[in-house]
Amino acid sequence: MKFRSSGYLIKEGFKNILNNRMMSLASIGVLISCLLITGAAIVTSLNARSFISSIGDENMITVYLDPEMSDIDALKLGAQIDKLDNVRSSEFYSKTKGIEEYKEKLGDELFASMQGDQNPLPHSYKVRLDDFSKYEETVKSLEKIDGVFNISNRSELAGKITKLNQLVTYVGIAAVIILGLVTLFIISNTVKMTMYTRRFEISIMKSVGATNAFVRIPFLVEGMAIGFISGILSSIIMIAIYDPVIQAIRNISYVIYEASIPISEIWPYIALAFLGSGILIGAIGSFISVSKYLKKEGGEILGW
Amino acid sequence: MIHFKNVSKVYPTGSKALDDVTLDISKGEFVFIVGPSGAGKSTFLKLIMREEEATSGEISVNGYNLVNIKKRKIPYLRRTMGIVFQDFRLIDKISVFDNVAFAMRAIGVSEKSVRKRVEYILALVGLSEKSARKPSELSGGEQQRVSLARALVNNPELIIADEPTGNIDPELSYEIMELLVEINKRGTTVIIVTHEHNLVNEFGGRIIKINNGKIVGDYIREVEQ
Ligand SMILES: Nc1ncnc2c1ncn2[C@@H]1O[C@H](COP(=O)(O)OP(=O)(O)OP(=O)(O)O)[C@@H](O)[C@H]1O
Ligand SMILES: [Mg+2]
Repeated sequence: MKFRSSGYLIKEGFKNILNNRMMSLASIGVLISCLLITGAAIVTSLNARSFISSIGDENMITVYLDPEMSDIDALKLGAQIDKLDNVRSSEFYSKTKGIEEYKEKLGDELFASMQGDQNPLPHSYKVRLDDFSKYEETVKSLEKIDGVFNISNRSELAGKITKLNQLVTYVGIAAVIILGLVTLFIISNTVKMTMYTRRFEISIMKSVGATNAFVRIPFLVEGMAIGFISGILSSIIMIAIYDPVIQAIRNISYVIYEASIPISEIWPYIALAFLGSGILIGAIGSFISVSKYLKKEGGEILGW
Repeated sequence: MIHFKNVSKVYPTGSKALDDVTLDISKGEFVFIVGPSGAGKSTFLKLIMREEEATSGEISVNGYNLVNIKKRKIPYLRRTMGIVFQDFRLIDKISVFDNVAFAMRAIGVSEKSVRKRVEYILALVGLSEKSARKPSELSGGEQQRVSLARALVNNPELIIADEPTGNIDPELSYEIMELLVEINKRGTTVIIVTHEHNLVNEFGGRIIKINNGKIVGDYIREVEQ
């Protein structure tokens, strides 16, 4: 292939798209849906994973103490927790530390008045277990300790999120496969139609000695341009939707919101992945139909 | 330059288009292939440009052995020849100039060389003034000259014209024939496939008669020009 003819060939590819507007638009529409659904599945999964790692090991239990309990008593209680069978370690988490963390996350104003004696939070211990399957028994023993007020753990939530993440992954994979095939089919048909409408030119090109690679280029350009346009549009849509969704989650669950990946961090990857896979699918789609077509010769091309 | 040895062609449908054909055409010859409809003339051309493969026998064309030619070499074989199709095969969406330029662009020639060469060839076939027209805005004879210009533009060693006089009146076919004779004088081998015995009688040259896939005559007819 000679470089000097590439301008001509690329122009031909874009001409194909314009000459074949309806099918090009259909391909772009389907490819955008495919990219967006796939992208949404992957982004959801990434966020779920980020959330799971943010809440740490699943076998963490938080033991809240009586809010009325003095600092000394609260500290002493640690020894009783450590004595229990299934406890690997416990870490004291003072109410002062708690309020500081809230302040950091939610802003000063709200918590300024909640210092010292005004602090409404209880002291707590973060307890790690040796064997998570004995979770229920250990919780019962912990509840029996005098001064333990409430026991909460996120293992249930973590379990749910893990399940959700699995579901999202499976649905995502299924969506990618099905929509990927549909998109390939549509794009290869679009290109096939262009080739059909240009079969006359193709047969002349071949009869004057154009190589298959040369004949193929405008059609590859067509497929890749469709992929490129779809990639750009999907990126714009995805990035526009991502932040509002994350903000909406904030109202539902702050914990999840907090663990979510910010748009500023994720958008270059979204754009790159969409552009890359769009162009790749476009290229493969057109390659398939072009290769089939180029095996034909002369009258066969024209259907004589 | 063209060498056929015991070549037969049987189409998948079972029809035997060529039957044990042996012949040689040398560089610079001016050759008529004549024969009735269905004789196998177009098949002969398709074998030369490797649109079809021989069922048996040996073929070599312009230095390419077509028995074992690699697929990717076929385009280069075709660049050694120019073909004028019976139905012209011009693209009507684009101008006369672009139709001729198409054959050069299709093999990756730079735009600059394309312009110079196409202008030269259009002048040669007398169509300089009409280079911006669409093929449908031309007469049959003019369209044919465009088709000839396209076949000539890559400067092939061999020109093949399938029924060059088929669709046009005798006066125009005469013009085309004179052009082909002119091209032949410059050293290009010319093969003309035709029904028309008038042409053959008028212009002379080597005449190969085909009937039922067999060569039934091969002689040279001298004509006073
Ligand atoms: N693609 C094909 N498939 C099957 N049979 C074919 C094919 N092309 C040609 N034939 C047959 O081969 C024989 C020779 O055909 P060919 O086209 O070579 O004849 P021709 O001499 O060019 O005739 P014409 O003067 O009508 O163009 C005919 O019997 C024809 O029906
Ligand atoms: Mg014929």
